[in-house]
Amino acid sequence: MSIELWTEKYRPRTLDEVVDHEEVISRLKRFVEERNIPHLLFVGPAGVGKTTTILALAQDLYGPGYMNFILELNASDERGINVIREKVKFFARTAPMRSEVPFKILIMDEADSLTAAAQHALRRTMERYTKTCRFCLIGNYSENIIEPIQSRCSVFRFGHLSERDIRERIRYIANCEGVKLLESGLDAILEASRGDLRKAINILQTAAASKGGYVDEDVVFSVLGRVSPKEVRQMLLLSLEGRFLEAREALRRLLLEEGLAGEDILRQIYSQVLRLQIPESWKVRLSEMIGEIDYRLTQGARPEIQLGALLAKLALAGEEMRR
Amino acid sequence: MRDEERPWSERFRPRTLREVVDNREALRRFLAWVRSWRGGPPRRRSAFLYGPPGVGKTSAVEAVANDLGFDLIEVNASDYRTAKRIETILGRASSQIRTLFGRRRMILFDEVEGLSGQEDRGGVGAILSLIRGTASPIVLVATGSPEMWEDRLSPLMRVSELIEFRPIPFQDVVERLREICREVGVEAEEEALELIAERSNGDLRSAVNDLEAVARGRGTLTWEDVYWLGDRDRKGEISEVLRGIFSSKSFDEAREVLRESPIRYEELLEWIYENLPYFYDDPQDLAEAMDALSRADIYERRARETQEYRLLKYMFDAMVAEVALARKGSRGRGLIQEVRRALLSLGLPPSDLLIREGREGVIVKPTRWMGKDWQPLNSLLRELGGRWIREEGCWVVPYFRPPGRIRHLRRSWWSRRRLEDLARRVGEKCHVSTRTALREFIPYIRAIFKENRRLGVSIARWLELEEDTIRWLMEG
Repeated sequence: MSIELWTEKYRPRTLDEVVDHEEVISRLKRFVEERNIPHLLFVGPAGVGKTTTILALAQDLYGPGYMNFILELNASDERGINVIREKVKFFARTAPMRSEVPFKILIMDEADSLTAAAQHALRRTMERYTKTCRFCLIGNYSENIIEPIQSRCSVFRFGHLSERDIRERIRYIANCEGVKLLESGLDAILEASRGDLRKAINILQTAAASKGGYVDEDVVFSVLGRVSPKEVRQMLLLSLEGRFLEAREALRRLLLEEGLAGEDILRQIYSQVLRLQIPESWKVRLSEMIGEIDYRLTQGARPEIQLGALLAKLALAGEEMRR
Repeated sequence: MRDEERPWSERFRPRTLREVVDNREALRRFLAWVRSWRGGPPRRRSAFLYGPPGVGKTSAVEAVANDLGFDLIEVNASDYRTAKRIETILGRASSQIRTLFGRRRMILFDEVEGLSGQEDRGGVGAILSLIRGTASPIVLVATGSPEMWEDRLSPLMRVSELIEFRPIPFQDVVERLREICREVGVEAEEEALELIAERSNGDLRSAVNDLEAVARGRGTLTWEDVYWLGDRDRKGEISEVLRGIFSSKSFDEAREVLRESPIRYEELLEWIYENLPYFYDDPQDLAEAMDALSRADIYERRARETQEYRLLKYMFDAMVAEVALARKGSRGRGLIQEVRRALLSLGLPPSDLLIREGREGVIVKPTRWMGKDWQPLNSLLRELGGRWIREEGCWVVPYFRPPGRIRHLRRSWWSRRRLEDLARRVGEKCHVSTRTALREFIPYIRAIFKENRRLGVSIARWLELEEDTIRWLMEG
C-alpha cells in the first residue's frame, strides 16, 4: 500500500537525501564508512530532521533490513524508566546476527522529557550495554540532558532549516503530487511553519486536499484557521471577562476531549497572554505564574487544577482592569 | 405477570431475528447451520455458542427457533448433571423429529460451562452420545472465556459447529438503552446512558439491569443518578465536609472538619475544585483559594514522590484551611435564593411551589398538578444541577456538584478512545510520540477528513485505524 501521509512519503531514506545540516551529515557519514558510531545526542527544534537523520543513518549502515537492528522508544510514551530499562535490556543483550556491524541502535526520542533521576538510570543502562548497543538520544534542548549523558555522547546540534531549503522541498513535493502551488501559497506556508519542515508539509497536504484545485494564500490561511486551537484564546478571554465557569469548561474540553497535554496548552497560553490587552504589570505577574506552573507540571502536578488556578488569576486581572 | 412488571432484561429481550442487532456474523453462521438440517442431519449435529455474558447467545437461539418454526426444548444445567436424567428428559424428544403438532424440535443446553468435575463426566458423555444419535438440532451455550472451561468441554467443542459471540459495541449498547427509555417513558441524559454502557463492558443484559435499577419508576435519569448508583451514603458525607469547609471561619475550625472525614483526600481536592467558583464569587477570593488548591496539589505530589506522608498535612492545610480563609468578600452561594430567583423568571404564582432547604440540597415541591408547566420547570432546575424524584414528587437541587472532570471524562470517553487509537497509529507510522501526534498531525488529518473524505479514508487505511475510529473521523 502506498504511503499516504506526505511527511512519511517524502522522508529522506539515506543520509545523502537529507536536506541541510551539511556539517552534521558529513560527520555522520564518516561514522558509517568506519562502520562504528559512538553514542549520539541529537538536539534541535521540531521538524528539522533529527529522527529522519538517525533513521537514514541506520539505513546506510545496515542496508534495507535496518529495521531489525534498531529499536525506537519514545520517552514521553513509556511508563517510567523501569519499563524503558526492561525494553532496552531485552533489545540490547544480544549482538545483531548476520550483520557486519557488531551493535544495534536504540533511538530514544524526546529524551529530554525524562526526569533527571530517570536519566541517571538510563546512563547506567547505556554503560552496561555499550558493547552491543549504541544509543541515539533525541531532544529539543541539550540543557535538559544531564551532564554525565552529554559527556558520553557525541552531541549534534540541528539548527533551523533555511528558508531556501524548505521552499525547495515544498515545491518539489508539490510538483511530484501535481499540486498547483501558487507563490503566495508557498509564502504563507513558509511564514506559518517557521522552519519546521514537518509542519510545512502537513500544511501543504491539507491545503492540497481542499476542493479548489490550487493552493494560494487564502487556502493556506483557511487550513491554519482549522488546525489551530482557537479555544485557548477564547478561554483566556472568557476568564478576563470574569466568566470563570465557562473558561474552566473550555479548559476541560482542551484537556479531555482534544487530549492536549497540559504543557502544550500552557505554551499556547504563554504566547497568547503576551498578546492580550492587559497592563504590563499583569503580564509580568502572569508570566511568573506561568513559569511556576510549567515547572510544577514537569513535577507531575494535575494540569487541570494548575491551569484552573491560572484562569482564576486571569479573572482577577480582568476585574482589576474594569475597576 | 403483566408486561410492565417483568424485569426489563426479560421484557426487552429480542424475540425475533429482526430484533437482534449485534453479532450478525455469528447469527448468520448459526442460521446457516440450522437451515442445513433441512435435508436431514448435517455432519455436525450440534452447535456450540460461546462468548461473554449478556451478549445475546440464548436470545439468538430463541429468536432463530421462533422465526424458523422450531419448538425449543430448553434443558437447564441442573437437569443434566447425570447421564440418566438427560436420557429420561430427552430420550424421546431427540429421536422424534416432530412434535405431536408437526413442529420440528430444537434442543438447547444452556450454561454448559457449569458442567464440571467428576460427577459431571457422565453429563458430558451423555450429551455426546445424544449428539451422535439426534434427529433434531442440539445447541450448546457456554458463557465466559474459553480458557475457563476448554479442557472440560473440548469433547463437545470438537464435534460441534463453533460459533463465537463478541461483546456488544459501546454505541449499540447506548442505542438499545435509549430505545428502552423511550419505551418506558424515561427522559434520560445521553451521558447517563453512556456511563451505564461503559460500566457494562459490552454486557447488554447487565446494562439493561443497571438501567432498570436507577430508572424504574422515574421520569428522568441524569448522569448523577448513575454515578451515585449504590453509593448514596458517601454523597451525604461529602456534602457534610464541603459544607464545613465553606462555612469555617478559622484555621482550626477548618482543619477539624477534615479530622472526621472518611473521604480520600484526592477525591476531596476534586470536589473542592469543582464547587469553589459557586461559593467564591469575589474574583480576589477565588484567585486566592485556587492558588491554595494548586499548592495543595503540589504538596501531595511531594509527599508521594518522597514517600514522606507526614508532608501531607501541608496539603490539608492548603486545601482546607487556606481555602476557607481565602473567603472574604464573597457572599457565598445562597442556593435557595438562586433557585427562587431562577423560578421567578417562569412567572408562576409563589403558592404553586414549596421551596425549602433539605439535607442534600434545596427541595422544590409543587403544591398542585403542574401539567404543562412541569416541563419548563424541570429544564430550569436541571440547569441548576437539580433532578426530579418521582417517588417523592419533588425536585432536589444539590448544594454541591460532583467533580465535572469525571463527568467530562465519561462524556468524552468514546472520542478519547478514538483519539488514542489515532495518536498511537500515527506515532507508529510517523516515528513520533502520541503527544506529538496529537499536536502536530491529528489536527491536519481531521481537517483533511472534513475537506476530502476519499483522501481521508485512504490515509486512515494506511494508518490501519480501527473501523470505529474511521467512522468517528467521518462524523467530524
